[in-house]
Amino acid sequence: MISGAAGRSALGIRLGGSVWLFLGPALLLMLAAYLAPLFDTTIVSLHPNRPTGIDRDSWTIANYLRLLDTYYGEVLLRTLRVSLLITLFSVLLAYPVGVWLAGLGPRGQAWAILVYMSPWFVNAVVKSFGWTLILGNRGLVNRGLQSLGLIDSPLRLMLNETGIVIGLLPGHFLFVLLPLWAALKGLDGNLRWAAMTLGARPWQVFLRVTVPLTLPALLAGAIINFTMNMAAFAAPALLGGTRTRVLSFIAYQVNLEELNWPFGGALAVAMLVVTLGFVMVAQGLTRGGLGGGRR
Amino acid sequence: MGGAPAGLEARSLVKRFGATTAVDGIDIAVRPGEFFTVLGPSGCGKTTFLRLVAGILAPDGGSIRIGAADLTQAPIWARNIGLVFQNYALFPHMTVAQNVGFGLAMRRVPRADRGPRIARALETVRLDGYGGRRPSELSGGQQQRVALARAIVIEPDLLLLDEPLSNLDARLREDMRSELADLKHRLGITTILVTHDIHEAFSLSDRVAVMRAGRVEQVGAPTELYELPANRFVAGFLGPVNEWTGRVGAIADGTAEVEFAGLRSCRVPALAGWRGGDEATVILRPERLGLTAASAAGEGAVVGRIDQVAHLGNLVNYRVAAGGRALLAQAPAGRTGRFALGDRVAVAWDDADLAPVAP
Repeated sequence: MISGAAGRSALGIRLGGSVWLFLGPALLLMLAAYLAPLFDTTIVSLHPNRPTGIDRDSWTIANYLRLLDTYYGEVLLRTLRVSLLITLFSVLLAYPVGVWLAGLGPRGQAWAILVYMSPWFVNAVVKSFGWTLILGNRGLVNRGLQSLGLIDSPLRLMLNETGIVIGLLPGHFLFVLLPLWAALKGLDGNLRWAAMTLGARPWQVFLRVTVPLTLPALLAGAIINFTMNMAAFAAPALLGGTRTRVLSFIAYQVNLEELNWPFGGALAVAMLVVTLGFVMVAQGLTRGGLGGGRR
Repeated sequence: MGGAPAGLEARSLVKRFGATTAVDGIDIAVRPGEFFTVLGPSGCGKTTFLRLVAGILAPDGGSIRIGAADLTQAPIWARNIGLVFQNYALFPHMTVAQNVGFGLAMRRVPRADRGPRIARALETVRLDGYGGRRPSELSGGQQQRVALARAIVIEPDLLLLDEPLSNLDARLREDMRSELADLKHRLGITTILVTHDIHEAFSLSDRVAVMRAGRVEQVGAPTELYELPANRFVAGFLGPVNEWTGRVGAIADGTAEVEFAGLRSCRVPALAGWRGGDEATVILRPERLGLTAASAAGEGAVVGRIDQVAHLGNLVNYRVAAGGRALLAQAPAGRTGRFALGDRVAVAWDDADLAPVAP
């Protein structure tokens, strides 16, 4: 009976209470391993931290007031700036790469996707150390440019925000590319010819047909990309250096080095709220004007 | 709608895909204002031909002229062609009015003029008031009509229809067909329809080209093709047919005496090249075969036994075993003259209905 119901649901026919049987395990896991700790973190952030540990008997908003300190404000702004910059570059690259990719043969597409996935075949820490060999003052790029006589003193390509952007962009670009690629491949090829017979030149087809129909996919990818940029840890820690800290690293320091869980909780909640805020704005854009009110 | 309608002239068109030649030297001339159909089985190259005319594909040889202009190398957007796709290809993110107005916007028609022209086009396809809807809110037949409105609003020199009715169900297809027939007279646009459906082709077209394997087998008015097919392929493609091969006897004044084993000898207009003793093939449409009870057999009739009956509602198809052949006969379904399986019947025909065909 259950397998029968599942089979029908796969065909798009409504199924009854048995849906919970299938969703249940995943929901329980989310509840136990994610939502419950998140809830506890929020509660902890409202307690003061004492030398003896978390004082669960008294309540305070001091942890949140501390976030208003200019240092943390700067960290938050930097995290947002770096994250948005990576998303911006990814979005700018997405259409050229996606259109090229969707035009390749099936084998070409499989290989190209493999190349774009390759940053994920290497551990984030190892990958970041790899970047230091390329981006450092005596790294591949600077030595190359110097030997060509293009620069006198090395460019600062890491231990700053540039390093974080370079370190995260290749891997996180995949999440903008994949949904857009799928959407481009799903477009009815005749739409292009229909537009052209009506007088549209290729760039007009792109702007008036291709982009409006694939923009929701691009925005979905951009949202995933942005949240991953906000939460990234290893690359910012290793390529950003001590003067260019981002929120995730500060939260790590406060929680695991200072063992100040209440303030660490406040940092985590602040990060969540800011990220969610941006996601909701982006989703508002998709549903409103940009998506063209697509149904 | 626009100025004087233009004709199309395709000369020695060739298109290859790798090792296969999809269009193998086609010559088609469509007269101004004509409704012309390219008819053929799937894979015969008819859609490739349409795409060559539209400019979606570039030919490997030959030329395409529309009116006085040679458009062989012209880009699609410069051809002024209206194209209606089999799957309609409406822009899903635009309203009906935006879809219809797309070609006008691309042609930089002033905004103030677009509204009335869109309204007129929608009225032409009987969709007035639907301008604000989305394609997804329309039925298949309505989407079809939007696609048509979108193609005609730009006043194209040539209207191309790619199997426009094949995605519709049987009843809707009938409606659309009669609507297309009306439109054809009102618009007067030179139109090329591509289809595998004989009824669609015959009911709409002034002339039809039958294609096979990248080549044009025959061009002519529907009745011409039906009565005098150039060869066995054309004869068979245009509907069920009795095909008899016999031996040529005497030929006099262009009429040959042909002897068909098991039947009788018939007088047939001789094809050029027929000589006494040659094999000759003639065709006879099933509806031209008359059936009567065997007891009432007239002169020249052949007696046989009915071994298959198929009722089609308004018609009945019979298969008669006679003279070692299977003869196909079609008769109106009336209360009189009905036969049952196993009945002995006399089969008669008029020699004037026999058409000689090339092999």
